[in-house]
This record gives sequence, C-alpha cells and structure tokens, in this order.
Amino acid sequence: MAIRSLSRQPSGVFWASWRDVFKFYFFLGTHSRRPKLFFLLSLVPLAMAIIFKGSQIIYGYPRFSGLFIYSNMIMMFFLQFLILLLTLFFGTSVCREEVEGKTLPYIVTRPLHKIAFLLGKYTAYTLLVSIMIIFSLTLSFIIMNLDRLGDLSLYKVLLRDGGVLLLGIWCYAALFTFLGVIFKKAIFFGLLFSFGWENIIQYFPGKTQKLAVVHYLKSLLPPLSQEGFPFLLFRLEPTPRGEAILILLGLTFFFLGLSCALFAGKEFIIEA
Amino acid sequence: MRAVVQTEKLSKYYGNVLGLSDVSVTIEPGVVGLLGPNGAGKSTFLKLITGQLKPSLGEVKVFGQPVWNNPHIFHQIGYCPEIDAFFPDLSGWQFLKEMLRLHHFPEEEARRRAEEVLKFLHLFGDKDRLIRSYSRGMRQRLKIAQAIAHEPQLIILDEPLNGLDPLGRRKVIRLIRRLGEKGQTVIVSSHVLPEIEAMTKRIILIHQGKIFAEGNIHYIRDLIDTHPHIISIKCDRVRELAAALVKEPEVIKIFFTPDPQEIQVETQQRDIFFDRLQQLILQLDLQVEAITSPDDNLQAVFDYLIGEK
Repeated sequence: MAIRSLSRQPSGVFWASWRDVFKFYFFLGTHSRRPKLFFLLSLVPLAMAIIFKGSQIIYGYPRFSGLFIYSNMIMMFFLQFLILLLTLFFGTSVCREEVEGKTLPYIVTRPLHKIAFLLGKYTAYTLLVSIMIIFSLTLSFIIMNLDRLGDLSLYKVLLRDGGVLLLGIWCYAALFTFLGVIFKKAIFFGLLFSFGWENIIQYFPGKTQKLAVVHYLKSLLPPLSQEGFPFLLFRLEPTPRGEAILILLGLTFFFLGLSCALFAGKEFIIEA
Repeated sequence: MRAVVQTEKLSKYYGNVLGLSDVSVTIEPGVVGLLGPNGAGKSTFLKLITGQLKPSLGEVKVFGQPVWNNPHIFHQIGYCPEIDAFFPDLSGWQFLKEMLRLHHFPEEEARRRAEEVLKFLHLFGDKDRLIRSYSRGMRQRLKIAQAIAHEPQLIILDEPLNGLDPLGRRKVIRLIRRLGEKGQTVIVSSHVLPEIEAMTKRIILIHQGKIFAEGNIHYIRDLIDTHPHIISIKCDRVRELAAALVKEPEVIKIFFTPDPQEIQVETQQRDIFFDRLQQLILQLDLQVEAITSPDDNLQAVFDYLIGEK
C-alpha cells in the first residue's frame, strides 16, 4: 500500500453522518442472521391468515367474515404482540448491540456526529421493522379478504391499519432506543413494559389507560366488536384521533430527543 | 516539533477505581511505544485520547483540539482496539469498505482503498469470507487495516501484535516503522518490551495509572539492567553447568530446584550472561531443553523499579 499524505475529505457533517450510518445499518440489517429470524417471526400472522382462510374454505369454520377475523385477531396480534417484540429487539439494539457486541469503538472513532449516528441507526432499523410489518400485514389482509378483493372501500381499512402500526412502530422504537441508551438490561425492562405495563394498563378504567401507548393506537381504530366474545368487559375510552396522533408523535420525538441527549453525553465502558 | 497529542493533568476514575492519574504528556510525530503491564492504564489512556472516554479531570488535545465529542478530528485518527470484536455477519471486504464509507468516502474510493489495504495486509484472498471464520491473526490484521485504510495522521494501536504469528508480527512491526518514517504518528501499546523495542526507541512507561517514565528506550533498558534477573535453564548435566557458571563474575546466585534437570541463575548483567551461557552450552556440549526467565515480565520489572520488591 502506498502511504500518501492525508487527502482532504468531506467533513463529517451531521447529514453525511446520518446518511452513511443509515446506509450501513440498513445493509447490516438485511445481511445479518438475527433480523432474518425476526422477518420469519413477522410472517406468523400470515401463517395464521392462511390457516383461518383455509379452515373457512374447507370446513366453513370459523363462521365470522374474513374482515372480522382480520380486525379482531390478526390486527390485534400485530398491535399487541408483534410490533412490540420487533421494536423491542431493534430499538434496544440501536445502542445496546454496539456496547454488548463491543463494536462501539469502531463507531465512536469515526467522523460521525453521535446524534446523527443514533438517529441514522434508529431510522434504518425502524424502517426495516416497518417493511417487515407492512409486508406481512398486506399479505394477511389480502388472504383474509380473498372473496372481496374487488371492494375498493376495503383498502381504506388496510391503509388505516398500516398507518396505525407505523405510528406504533416509530413510537415504540423510540421508547426502546431510549431504554437501550440508559439500561444495561434494556431487553428485560422492555419486556416488562411491553407485556406487563402495556397489556395491563390499557384495560384500566378512566384516565389510567391513557398511560399506555397502545391506548392511543387503539383510539385510532374502530372499537373492537364483542360479537362472539361477550365475556370481554374491558372498555376502551378512546382519546380523540387528532389528539392521539399528536401524543404518539410527541412521545416519539420526546424519547428520541432524550436518547440523543443522553447518548451524546454518555461514555460507554467496553470491558475487554 | 508540533505536539500531536497533548494531555494536561489527565485523570480518569471508574467510580472509585483509578484508571489514570494526573498524566501530562506530549507526543510528537513518529512511533511512540506505550509500555506497561496488564492493567497499568494503557487502554484507558488510549481511549481517552481517542475520545471514547471523557476525562474525569484534566484535558486531552489532539492536533490542538479537544477530542471528546469532536467528530471532525477523526478524519485524522485511526484506532485499532485491543478487543477482538467485529460485526460477525460481514465479510472482511464488506467490513472494511463499510468502515471507509463511515469516513464519508464515496463508494468507488472506499472500494479502491479497501482493496489496496487488504492486499497490503495479505487478506485479499480471503476478503469474501465471513469475519467469524477468520483466524485470530487474520482478524488482528483486519483491525489494523480499518485503522490505516483512511490514511490518518495519527494511528493508535492497542496491543496490535496480539494473536499474530511470528511472520505476521514482523510484517506489522515493519508496517509501523514505515508509517513512522513517513511522518505519521503511531502510538502502540504493549506489555512486551522486545515488541516495542523492535518498533521504536521512544517509549512511555505507564504503571498503576501513572506515567512512570518517558524517553529513549535505552533509559528503560538501563533501568531494567539494574534489576537482578532470574534465568531458569533446563538441560542434562545441570551440575556440570552450575560448576562452570559459578566461575562467571556476572552470576550472583545459583539455585537448584526439585527438578533434577533444572537450575536457576540470578544475574544483574543479563546480556553478558546470555552471551557466556551460549558459549558454555557449546563448550560442554549440553542438550538444552529450555531457557526461560520466570521474572522477566514487565510487572516484575516495574515492581522492582518502584521498590515494591
């Protein structure tokens, strides 16, 4: 290798840092094994849809319409389980995988703005999750509504549900990114939040349910039908849609801002 | 000469644990060896001057600028960490190219540089293999590759010879010397004195988080030569050898060990002793199994120098 004098290179401005980090982690996300496993997991609702639809066609059971099953079971599976799990993994990974994988020295000794690094990686990973979820949601929706695909009004439901899930993904990912920056055991705290807090608080009566992120997501959806499920006594007291969207966006920016501020000022001790 | 790295009363504490204490040092262009036993504070010092750690007290300047949260300065810095960690799902080629992309090089330029440095470090043939299938020595060379591929003015190598075979070591030592000759500043840490000796004559001795001494390597050599060395020799006819060694003025003591084929010799003039030992081995036609120096590690030398022993 010829040793040359230092040539002038483009300065590590914020935008260049964000762009290069985004490209790198999006590339890494499509080439690593773990994201591939999560992609397979994201296809679980698709498998559910195939089973439901197959059962309907062959045995005529369950008797509910495809749209009913989609809205009450498949969409809820996305909303209350899948996006939480995927954003938990990818969101906490934004910071934690560099510390636990001990690759942080490669990142912090490059001309990258720390905040741009965090935002670039958050965007790359959240976009990956969004693609996985929207892909699986669309296919599940089509399969469950095979007999009504010509009905254009149906696609409004898909657009609405896709939008709700995207809002949820970006909000949860921001929250889990924050947990990844502040906690060593971010996955543990994330699991407690996802499957403890979120799944309990949302069913509390009155204003308490507003302390769960999922409350605002559910506020954007029509109330769940209790047809066939008369034992369900929990009642959502929805927040107006505009307010719910603003709160979700506010939470996303709040947790991202907090993550950036903490990440930029924090030193991470990588143990040999 | 201008200072490349300058620290002023630099200290680092990990909670109540001292990592580095009151270090004021100026490093100028060329190769500088950072020498100290394991746990001396070498890595802490290197992490502080690469902005990975924030000083608890004092300040660090690289090229006259503060380094903490100053991304622009990293165009001019290359860092090879001690830790053997990578993005495991990438090939050597992908890793290096992407690391160059993170330096904001355009795709074509990143490819060219990655190819050049992989060829230079004899990794080009294995460039498409996943890093996790690389040997330790290959991974070590890859870490060095990512530290030099963007041609920084300051290269910081934390224990770069770990895991390398003798041939690999020679190549890396030659590379480091060459970088120094070209006017780049290379800071190399090691706990093995001969490794540092092979690269440079300028050293900084670090021990228990403090700079113990700095300057020419002959200085530390002289210090070490005042330290009595114990050399263990395993061979046949050890008593015959002991009888011959007793007559040598540089030998202070001879110990017999429970092993009937081993003696330990204490000397204060190591180099002269080794010359004489070689002659005696040939003269007596001894079958030598091993010659080792049980206390010839830096910790023992440092302990002796600071008066702990």
